[in-house]
Amino acid sequence: MIVVLTITAGFLYVRVAGHVEKVFDEAMYDKAQALISLTELDEEGLEFDFAEDGVMLEFQEHQTPQYYQLWEKGVDLLIKSPSLGESDLPRSGVEFGGHQFADMKLLDGRDGRLIEINFMPRVEVEDDEEDEDYGAVIPPPEAVTMVFARERETLDATLFAIGSTIFGVIIIVLLISGLMIWRLVGAGLSPLSYLAKQVSTIDESNLDARLNHKGDQSMEIAPIENQLNRLLERLQSAFEREKRFSANAAHELRTPLSELKTLAEVARIVPDDREMVVSFFNDIGEISGQMEKMVATLLELSRSEAGLLRIDSENIDLAEYCEEVWQHAVNGQEINKSLLKHIPEGLVIYTDREKLGMILSNLFGNAISYSPDNAEIEITAKILNDNVVLEVRNASINLKPEDILHMKDRFWRKQTIQGESGHSGLGLTLVEALAGIMKLDVNLRLDNQQTFMVTISGLNPSVY
Amino acid sequence: MKLLLVEDSERLQRSLSTGLKKYGFAVDQAFDGEQALAYTAVNQYDAIILDLMLPKIDGLTVLSTLRSEGKDCHVLILSAKDQTEDRVRGLDLGADDYLVKPFAFNELVSRLHALERRRSGVKNPVIEIDGIKVDSVTRQVFFDDQPVALTRHEYQLLEFLARRRGRVFSHDQLIDQLYDACSYVTRNAVEAHVSLLRKRLNLAGAPNLIKTRRGFGYLIE
Repeated sequence: MIVVLTITAGFLYVRVAGHVEKVFDEAMYDKAQALISLTELDEEGLEFDFAEDGVMLEFQEHQTPQYYQLWEKGVDLLIKSPSLGESDLPRSGVEFGGHQFADMKLLDGRDGRLIEINFMPRVEVEDDEEDEDYGAVIPPPEAVTMVFARERETLDATLFAIGSTIFGVIIIVLLISGLMIWRLVGAGLSPLSYLAKQVSTIDESNLDARLNHKGDQSMEIAPIENQLNRLLERLQSAFEREKRFSANAAHELRTPLSELKTLAEVARIVPDDREMVVSFFNDIGEISGQMEKMVATLLELSRSEAGLLRIDSENIDLAEYCEEVWQHAVNGQEINKSLLKHIPEGLVIYTDREKLGMILSNLFGNAISYSPDNAEIEITAKILNDNVVLEVRNASINLKPEDILHMKDRFWRKQTIQGESGHSGLGLTLVEALAGIMKLDVNLRLDNQQTFMVTISGLNPSVY
Repeated sequence: MKLLLVEDSERLQRSLSTGLKKYGFAVDQAFDGEQALAYTAVNQYDAIILDLMLPKIDGLTVLSTLRSEGKDCHVLILSAKDQTEDRVRGLDLGADDYLVKPFAFNELVSRLHALERRRSGVKNPVIEIDGIKVDSVTRQVFFDDQPVALTRHEYQLLEFLARRRGRVFSHDQLIDQLYDACSYVTRNAVEAHVSLLRKRLNLAGAPNLIKTRRGFGYLIE
């Protein structure tokens, strides 16, 4: 806009200034023509009426004199104004009948302008027969060059006034436009500034903050605000998950170490209490077993994340294999829980035996530990759209729907029972990781009757 | 010193309470936050050892409940959470100390003793009264620089009364303060301990510190 206005102002100035200069030059031309009209050739030679005393006082010694100088054939000086004194006006040589303008420095140092004009002097013929000069022979006229010069300060002052007015107006227009634009843009950007100010106050300590707007929500800002709020929700959820994981990991890793350390230190101070010392050693053995299991699970998870686990599929009789894994999970303990199988006789699936075993072992282990006494743990297999879907279900203790969201998080455990459960909170994390490698889906559900269900879909029936 | 040990790990409960009792502490055990609050509602404890990640009610909620109820017993947090913000939070909520798991058992004992000294106002771990020195760190008693052999209960009784010199404690108060909920100690047993303590001090040539105020209880003047 500045460029446009500047160009407009420049154009305007050039046009107006050009016109004013033209008018000035025309005035000079007219003056020169006046001087020419007062120049005549008669039998006595060239007469310059404008040079007579009392006529055209501006050419005399004056405060702001004007100047003229005439040459015959451009060479021989004919006459010059008294104001010139001993000086001469410059001449460049103009063709006959022509004229040209030029700027110059006057004698007194002022800026001036001259017109150089080449003309033929008017011949004055006496037509009065009674006049004594009647019939006199007049020599042929020669071309005369006249240079008329005057100051141009008035012209310059006028041009300056015009220029400053034009550019002054432009500047004012620019300033006003700028102010208006600034105000309008500011008002338009105000919702964005408000949004930016809110965002700058949000850090990891207040991720529960949400962005809001003042007044009516602008159409452009609304989607940004909504997206940012959704992002904040996800960030908050991720931070909380991370905090939970850190807390759980610290607890699950440090607690067994703390137990081992305390058992060893206290055993040293009660060496005579054999029964106590023996029970301490039993505890140490149990803890070591749990830590071994935890380390093995963590390594397995680590390998699955690194893509180091391979799938070796084979045909597996599902009912037989489930029974085998169940017996291993029970491990000879006397538990008052049973496994109810609803698996079609002879159903064979094609999958990785070891990994399926780890999945089922974890699910059975959880079901045994986290179901009430005398609970029945059911495993069902169905064929759905050419895939085998397995479901393990059991009654649960104090499980809440929101617990389902965290069950696959590392080290998350439902703390409902006192003492040790032998679980590290990594079982379902491992189930999820193994299922991912085996291209299976794992779905967790809790119904209104507190029945917890784990569904594994995507198993392939056998390939013969 | 009477303690409440609030910890959901049975193994840690077992080993810690065994070790603490060996050091002369009376220890009650709670396995979750609900139990902890139930115990503190009916018993006075000198200190509570409090785990944070507890079933039912978490440790920090237990702590803030205790403080809001005006209970000013010392609380030592025992937790696997080791971040500065966790420690600051626990201390700001009213805990007196914070120990991160795993910890050295001796350190736990020393910190409990430090809490006890704070409570009694006697900062010196060695209490000297009429030539009898009670060393709370080594749990030994000396008279004329000679050790005086005392049983665990006799030492506990002597140290308890020495730290609270000038205060009278009844039989019931002594049972409450010196014995855990699982030990069924009677008034007669307390009297027997007092009597035996006096005898052992006399045998060592030490003056009889423990005075009886009839109808009120015992004190060290």
